Amino acid sequence: MPVYVNPNICNGCHGATQPPCIRMCPGDLIVKDPLVDKAYLKYPEDCWDCLPCVKSCPVEAIEFYLSYQMGFKNASLKPHIPATRDHIIWESIDSRGKKETFTIRTKVLDIEIDEKVEGSTPVDFSI
Amino acid sequence: MDLNNRNDEIIETDLLIIGGGTAGCLAAVEAKEKNPALSVTIMEKAHIDRSGCLAGGMNAINAYLNPGETAESFVKYVRFDSCGLIREDLVQSMAELFEYSVKKVEKWGLPILSDEKGNYLPRGRWNIKINGESLKPIIAKAAKQSGAKILNWVTATNLLRKGNRIHGAVGFSVRHGRMYVVKAKATLIATGGAAGIYKPNNMHDAQHKTWYSPFNNGAGYAIGIRAGAEMTSFEMRYVALRTKDAIAPTGTIALGVNAPQVNAKGEKFMQTKYAHLGGDGAPTPYRAYGPIMEIKEGRGPVYLDTRHINEKQASDLKAAFLDMYPSQVLYWTANDIDPSKEPVEVQTTEPYIVGGHCQGGYWIDVNRRTTLEGLYAAGDVAGGAPFKFVSGCWAEAVIAARDAVASMSQTPSEEIDSKTIDEEAKRIYQPLLNYRHKPAQGVLPYDMEVRLQKIMDEYAGGFSTYYEMNEESLLIARKQLAKIPGQFEYLIANDLHQLMKAHEIIDRVDVARVLVEHLLYRKETRWPSYQTRMDYPDRDDENWLKFVNSRMNPETGKIEMLTRPYEQLIAGDRYKPRG
Ligand SMILES: Cc1cc2nc3c(=O)[nH]c(=O)nc-3n(C[C@H](O)[C@H](O)[C@H](O)COP(=O)(O)OP(=O)(O)OC[C@H]3O[C@@H](n4cnc5c(N)ncnc54)[C@H](O)[C@@H]3O)c2cc1C
Ligand code: SF4
Ligand code: SF4
Repeated sequence: MPVYVNPNICNGCHGATQPPCIRMCPGDLIVKDPLVDKAYLKYPEDCWDCLPCVKSCPVEAIEFYLSYQMGFKNASLKPHIPATRDHIIWESIDSRGKKETFTIRTKVLDIEIDEKVEGSTPVDFSI
Repeated sequence: MDLNNRNDEIIETDLLIIGGGTAGCLAAVEAKEKNPALSVTIMEKAHIDRSGCLAGGMNAINAYLNPGETAESFVKYVRFDSCGLIREDLVQSMAELFEYSVKKVEKWGLPILSDEKGNYLPRGRWNIKINGESLKPIIAKAAKQSGAKILNWVTATNLLRKGNRIHGAVGFSVRHGRMYVVKAKATLIATGGAAGIYKPNNMHDAQHKTWYSPFNNGAGYAIGIRAGAEMTSFEMRYVALRTKDAIAPTGTIALGVNAPQVNAKGEKFMQTKYAHLGGDGAPTPYRAYGPIMEIKEGRGPVYLDTRHINEKQASDLKAAFLDMYPSQVLYWTANDIDPSKEPVEVQTTEPYIVGGHCQGGYWIDVNRRTTLEGLYAAGDVAGGAPFKFVSGCWAEAVIAARDAVASMSQTPSEEIDSKTIDEEAKRIYQPLLNYRHKPAQGVLPYDMEVRLQKIMDEYAGGFSTYYEMNEESLLIARKQLAKIPGQFEYLIANDLHQLMKAHEIIDRVDVARVLVEHLLYRKETRWPSYQTRMDYPDRDDENWLKFVNSRMNPETGKIEMLTRPYEQLIAGDRYKPRG
């Protein structure tokens, strides 16, 4: 499970149909469960570990893991984007709990919460 | 929706750009700048803000003329790095535009590392360091602001062809399923290269942990192949040397902290066995071949030796990966690896077809025109010019856009008959229909993908056979692949995402079939590891200093092979980096 949407934190971007996590995934792997208004990674085995979904979530609801075949549990890596949006603070914790932080200059553009998609999405697209 | 009563979206545009990645975005901006009255449309299968290779970010621009270098010295280096055979006209023309494109993107807000005087910080001869985490949203913003129309989540499935001319393309929306028919006076393909043709190094829930974007499936090649465009050099596959498991780029370590390759015995084998080719600076195929041979002969694993670096350098190294490949940092911490205390294990990846690192792609002229009228190609999908990286893709996009704008008025738009569109609609939606009506007889896109990858891995020089192949194994690959197109009719898809996956595998099979023909045709070993022919182990300039090209006859479906001559434009020894 490479990224994981924490359902306790995800607020569904308040009913957005195309929230940032869904829009930013280059593989179209994240979808929303309309019943609970929360996003989830529908195709975990297709994930590229590229993290635009993690970085674009306004409430930091998406956690990043390595698939277990590649690394043991408990290490973590989290990006935080401050309001100035001119740097990213990465917080890395190794499996023994040792913490390292990295502050890296960037230019994080504003991302709208929702975006209109041309045409409507029919519930049933069968033909 | 029903197939005979569709509600297609019909769009007329001047320039259609298929693929809104690195190259596609730059092409849109350039075209609109040159002629704001022109209508430009980008068709992108994901969302242009984060799509393609750049989705995660970049930490360097790998092709730039640092002080003291020229377009000519660049051509000489790339020629050496590609074992003496490249399209020198293409490589030179893109090098001349590195500066133009890099400065442009810097103006849009890309942070480039520079010294107090404002000079870019070089990393090796051709690299400059950037903080490129947000490079893709930055160039996407420029594309949006240029006034180009953006069709997000529309995946291209075929070109609109009439005779030898292309009049746009067809695709479908991954969001609402409608078919898009985009008629264009000029069409530029910028869909990147092909990953997922071979069995990946990591399987199961990490099967997409590949280096090259798994969402670039070779669609751009496939739609050209089906329309009869000439392709070149697919046999120069890219086998990348990457960190083990995490598959992160190694240049960041090798160039970043000058780490040499060592084998399990601690021997600097590149510096001894490949000294005559430049040691750790040998051509890129040899830097993959060297470690493969060490492992094959029992002296693996192989490492990049980072034990000389201090804690600060180790921390800088992690920071560099965080801009581009964050999972590498998590891999180190999850496995208790400190690169300043132990060397970094490396391995080679499954092969990719990518015209930016190697030269598999469309056969184009210096204006980036393909052999089909009205059709251009730029970036990883274009052939003949390796060592493109982001800046070369930008340069090619600029060249193609300028030519398309300049020759636009002479191209009348043509009607495409409705029968052609109806047939394509049937081809597009068949997997959804199958799911509805005969799911039990169906084949999942995933299963067909695994089948393809198994054939390619075992018989066409994949990771598990040390990339080696011979005539006999390739003939088996050819025979088995020939059966797959007959199975397309069984593909099933239960939603639009799966429908996209179904078309991804169809495209991959078409690319693989052409690839195997190329591998069969070149009877020498020019790029060990990329193309190791055990039955023709040596390089043979007398017979094979030429391009192997192919064209699928759209009427008969047969792949016809041909060759094109190599032309040396820059004098010097083709096997020396400064020759
Ligand atoms: C992990 C990684 C790291 C790299 N690091 C560096 C680096 O640090 N420096 C550097 O200079 N180079 C780097 N490169 C190389 C460079 O990123 C690529 O060569 C370059 O981005 C390719 O540009 P492109 O426009 O051809 O393809 P892409 O940028 O990948 O764009 C292709 C686009 O086409 C879209 N597409 C695909 N199929 C379809 C379809 N059927 N219909 C519609 N759209 C479609 C894709 O979604 C994508 O947006 C790296 C590459 C990778 C993979
Ligand atoms: S962006 Fe974050 S909060 Fe919004 S839907 Fe996605 S995971 Fe939930
Ligand atoms: S890490 Fe990348 S591929 Fe995986 S879900 Fe997030 S955006 Fe998509």
